[in-house]
Amino acid sequence: MKKHVVSLTINNDLYDLLIEPRKTLLAVLRDTIGLTGTKEGCSTGDCGACTVIIDGKSVTSCLMLAVSANGKAITTIEGLSSDGSLHPLQQAFMDKGGYQCGFCTPGFIMASKAFLDENPNASEAEVRHALGGNICRCTGYTKIIEAAMSAAEAMCGTREVR
Amino acid sequence: MAVHSVVGRSVPRVDALEKVTGAAKYGADVHPPGMLYGKIVRSEFPHANILHIDTSQAEKLPGVRAIITQADVESGRKVFASDKVLYFGEPLAAVVAIDPDIAEEAVDLIKIEYEPLPVVQDVMEAITSAAPRLHSDEPKDALLRRTIRNTLKQLCQDDSEDRSEEKNQLEVQLEMLKEDVYYNISAETHTEVGDVDKGFAESDVVVEDTYTIPRVHQTYMEPHVSVASVDSTGKVTVWASSQGPFAIRSGIAGTLGIPLSQINVIPTIMGGGFGGRFGVTMTHVPAVLLSQKTGRPVRVQVTRKEEFLDGRPAPGCVIKMKTGATKTGDILACQALAFWDSGAVSGASIGSTIRVRGVYKIPNLKVDAYGVYTNKSGTTAYRAPGAPQAIFAGESQLDEIARLIGMDPVQFRLKNMREEGDTIPGGSREPVVGYKETLKAVADAAGWWNREKSPNQGWGVAVGDWTNGCGPGGVYLSIHEDGSARIFHGSMDITGTDTAMTQIVAEILTLPYERVTITRGDTDSAPYATGSGGSVVTFTMGNTAKLAAEDTRRRILELAAERLSVEIDALELKDGKVFVNGGDLPKSILLGELAAYSLNTRGGPIVGKGSFAQQSSTPALAAQIAKVEVDPDTGRVKVLKMVSSQDVGFAINPMAVEGQIEGGTVQGFAWAIMEEMQYDENGNVNPGFVDYRVPTSADLPTVESVIVEVPAPNGPFGAKGVGEPPITPTLATMSNAVVDAVGVRINDLPIKPEKIVAALHNKGS
Repeated sequence: MKKHVVSLTINNDLYDLLIEPRKTLLAVLRDTIGLTGTKEGCSTGDCGACTVIIDGKSVTSCLMLAVSANGKAITTIEGLSSDGSLHPLQQAFMDKGGYQCGFCTPGFIMASKAFLDENPNASEAEVRHALGGNICRCTGYTKIIEAAMSAAEAMCGTREVR
Repeated sequence: MAVHSVVGRSVPRVDALEKVTGAAKYGADVHPPGMLYGKIVRSEFPHANILHIDTSQAEKLPGVRAIITQADVESGRKVFASDKVLYFGEPLAAVVAIDPDIAEEAVDLIKIEYEPLPVVQDVMEAITSAAPRLHSDEPKDALLRRTIRNTLKQLCQDDSEDRSEEKNQLEVQLEMLKEDVYYNISAETHTEVGDVDKGFAESDVVVEDTYTIPRVHQTYMEPHVSVASVDSTGKVTVWASSQGPFAIRSGIAGTLGIPLSQINVIPTIMGGGFGGRFGVTMTHVPAVLLSQKTGRPVRVQVTRKEEFLDGRPAPGCVIKMKTGATKTGDILACQALAFWDSGAVSGASIGSTIRVRGVYKIPNLKVDAYGVYTNKSGTTAYRAPGAPQAIFAGESQLDEIARLIGMDPVQFRLKNMREEGDTIPGGSREPVVGYKETLKAVADAAGWWNREKSPNQGWGVAVGDWTNGCGPGGVYLSIHEDGSARIFHGSMDITGTDTAMTQIVAEILTLPYERVTITRGDTDSAPYATGSGGSVVTFTMGNTAKLAAEDTRRRILELAAERLSVEIDALELKDGKVFVNGGDLPKSILLGELAAYSLNTRGGPIVGKGSFAQQSSTPALAAQIAKVEVDPDTGRVKVLKMVSSQDVGFAINPMAVEGQIEGGTVQGFAWAIMEEMQYDENGNVNPGFVDYRVPTSADLPTVESVIVEVPAPNGPFGAKGVGEPPITPTLATMSNAVVDAVGVRINDLPIKPEKIVAALHNKGS
């Protein structure tokens, strides 16, 4: 199959890649780049485990072809903490026990970030609704929502340096 | 109660950082150099003879390295179907290629010729004589009947003495077999205590109903995956995401005839299991076969769709049940007849049918349960296997009786609940249990005693019991020269069990939590550990870690006595130091100093060992109360409040324990309200998250968890297993709440909106 040159900026690093058009962004992130923090849970865009952020929006990377991400800036879970300090969402998921097996956690953190960046004062009901595209089978969501709400507060406090 | 400094606290889990940063390595994150990609070829019919498998086109596809079928399995054990398929999605062959997309293309190029056979998907049809037989042409009792007939014939020829009584007995037996014949039976179990007919006759109220519980999938978020690498000497290395690396090792050894010593299973972090991640056939065995064939590492990863087609979900079942009680609220008799949908292979949790008895004093009990073959994939454990199904029937009946005799459903349960020393129907006597405490705790926390509701709102209560398992485990514990401790073991952590072990060791060695670390070894290096299922790990590995810590403490005190020239009795381990009690000058020595000192002693470095196998465990109760609102026009059930209490013995990490209670409760909620694997004559029709709905955060309110602590005599610090109990009552909790809201009882789960609307319509007309 003919390959295409694709330029992706992933977590601020530029990659020029030669890619078959059938490869998803998820497959390229995981198998080509080796960023395995982004997970594949359903391959149909229903579980949210593969959520990354592109241009500020959360995207299920299993549904996006890598060629259609050409020229875009992509943030994955690996790009979230900076200068050795955790993002408030990561800290909150740790402190509140917002994970168990952890497989859905990167997706939840990325989806929460995309939503809370745009809606810093969201209510619990709004957060529950916004995270409705992510499936967790372990926690029953109680501690995930607690973590997201607690991070939302911390994120408001540091908004100007975001 | 003793005051603890590390156990009993909600410290962040030891794996928190790697899980929130994406650093944790799961099964599909392993990528050895030169790895190839395997894909499974699956049956397109739920029941068919295989006439021919043509792989020639697929073999020609560039990038394909090998294609294997059952003919390539030297051990002869079944890995792929060869003559006949019994369910849609059953594996027939495997392809391996340099790229996953090429492997998938190759799968499509394999041509299989089938001769379709009649299909049976419904258990109640499968047990009839008209149903196609999946495994045998004879009903299960045919052999027994033939034996009885032969004996009768001999007795008739034998006139030497009067054996009419014996003959009569055999004739009666034969007659019963004729009446009770079921077909496609994979297994059965029967229990009888007292006389149920007498119990029902003496009852003032008797309720009788049929409960249908659907087959549901564990839907752990990480689909099955395996990476295998077989070297030139035949040594097999498998990176496995599984609930039990040692079970995977023996499973591969048994299936492929490879010695245990030639297999190393390296456990990866696991994306959930809930009982469904113990098997080897889905990915591990095919990966090993493909690696043997190609001499390269091979990854076999299934999709979510394949999980639904070929996973091993929880069995659905049909339970016909009858319960009798006096009008003053004493349960007198309970009878259940259950047919469990086992799928194409034996294995449904039929033994759990007896859990219809609940935690109540029931003088007369009769339980008959059958596993039934159908054209579906086999089943396996799912969080308290079999209990949610049986308890749904039992707790629905109790709710109905309470309603009929006008007694509060909590009071009715409290009146009949067993206590320490009471006989368990069909079992022994109860040890120390916290049934009543747990139910009262949830009632108090939920505001049950002065509950209020608006029209179309209702409150439901139910309880469910489960006893954690116990298994073998080993732990090594080392003290380093910097005074820190490291635990080495081989058990899998999903829910925080590594954290619990770490807290236990820190507590006993009087170290801060951060000074104890934990490493999981592979099956070549780590001592044996039981699989992480059956709520077993904190009980088993917690006890094992405790033994290792106590052993370590003995060696520490021995060294300190030697070093400080005092008697051991005069020493005390405190705050990570050894102190000399009494005397004029306070003397102490740091653990790190002792560890360094030990390196030059006759006895050597500080290494503690814990080894543990069996201790009797104690039953735990989960009790739940839900408040719901039902929209009578749409049938939608909205949960307004969900409170879940559980007797956990002792919560080593309350935050992790709450997480288990919350997660289990939500899984039970989903089983009651939305989840159902659906089948027609072509196989499973909802193999994906669009048609098989699991709950999201938008479907639920906050689950309120209530921890009850009635210590288990043999648990570490009194802890009981906590993973499984919280799913057991929820099916009934939800159903009972819906009845209270709109007066209709849906016994055919899940309680979908259309069923409520239809039931309300029927009730009205």
